[in-house]
Amino acid sequence: MWDQRFEAILRQHLPFLDPEETLLAGTSLRDSGLDSLAMVELLATLESEYDVRFVDEAMSMETFATPQTLWSVLTDMRGVPAPV
Amino acid sequence: MTSAIVFPGMGPCDFADVAKFMLIDRDARELLATASDALDYDLFARYRDSDSDYSEYAQVAFLVNCVALARWAERTMDLRPDLIAGPSFGGKAAAVFSGALDFAEAVRMTARLSRIETEYFTAEQRGVVTMSFVRTPAERLREILAELDEAGEWYEISCYVDTDFWMVTLHEGRTDWLAQRLRAGGGLPLYVMDPPLHAAAFGPLRDRVEAELFGSLRFTDPQIPVVADQDGTVRTTADGVRTMLLDGIVTPVRWPEVVATFQRSGVQTVHVCGPDRLWGRVGATVRNFRTTIVDPRRAMRPIRRTVAA
Repeated sequence: MWDQRFEAILRQHLPFLDPEETLLAGTSLRDSGLDSLAMVELLATLESEYDVRFVDEAMSMETFATPQTLWSVLTDMRGVPAPV
Repeated sequence: MTSAIVFPGMGPCDFADVAKFMLIDRDARELLATASDALDYDLFARYRDSDSDYSEYAQVAFLVNCVALARWAERTMDLRPDLIAGPSFGGKAAAVFSGALDFAEAVRMTARLSRIETEYFTAEQRGVVTMSFVRTPAERLREILAELDEAGEWYEISCYVDTDFWMVTLHEGRTDWLAQRLRAGGGLPLYVMDPPLHAAAFGPLRDRVEAELFGSLRFTDPQIPVVADQDGTVRTTADGVRTMLLDGIVTPVRWPEVVATFQRSGVQTVHVCGPDRLWGRVGATVRNFRTTIVDPRRAMRPIRRTVAA
């Protein structure tokens, strides 16, 4: 599961997700309002907060499908083993 | 306070996001009826049943919504712009709202242009697309384009959106390669547009559009000056607006030039009127101006009324 900082950042870019609604691992980020430019802003914030740089396959649209896919890519980049 | 209206370039737009506005807003309904009369078909029904983001019906509906939203802003926000701009497809709505082109004529122009473009890109420019991407500084883009030069590949920059945001037109078979090269540097490929846009190679299309379509259109001097998306020049004559639309086929959009003209003119507030996901949010716009998005969602928001105690 992701950390609170990740969830707080992600929620700022999901205008269609009610604040009371639970963010699930499989929630569609696009359906929750993450469009292309929101994705660009989200990337910049995550890079700055987690001191990483999204490049190559991490930049594919699949990365931004769900909270789980995005967190998994972020975890891989930081070299931190993802909790099972 | 100096303000400007920007009519956005066209992007994918879900029917569900605009349908309510088209049916309820009084200006949208009136414009929709005028458009249906001009085209001799039910635009709303054709748009609803259309399966392409850039079909003739989607294009005319986009024009209808842009003009209707600007009228809504005039009516409800007392919007009186000093300048108008319309990057890419937005030039059509800019021509209408400035007073340079009658709305019904613009509707017929949009539909006919769509048909001519479809014929041209099917018969004479097959396999050419325009790719948009972001997070790519100019220096990095130069390196990538130099690789295409070395390989003898044709390409053109079709849109300068911001310092790190571009659209490039090239052969379809090269898009995977380009996407991979962009991602390697942290760039984000966004859309691949087919038909493509704004390239000098489309000169024969410009000539055909001028000969077959623009000869019958009657432009008048705009009542509100129009800033051309190609070079940021201010167009105050019928011919200036007409040429802007025609040249858009063969010259790239240079949004930073429009921004520079707005700044020199003292523009402080920009109202982006249309179903927009780009022009009102891109850094070049929001860094420099107070930006208001006038989209169907905003126009359909209930008006809060205060009840006297």
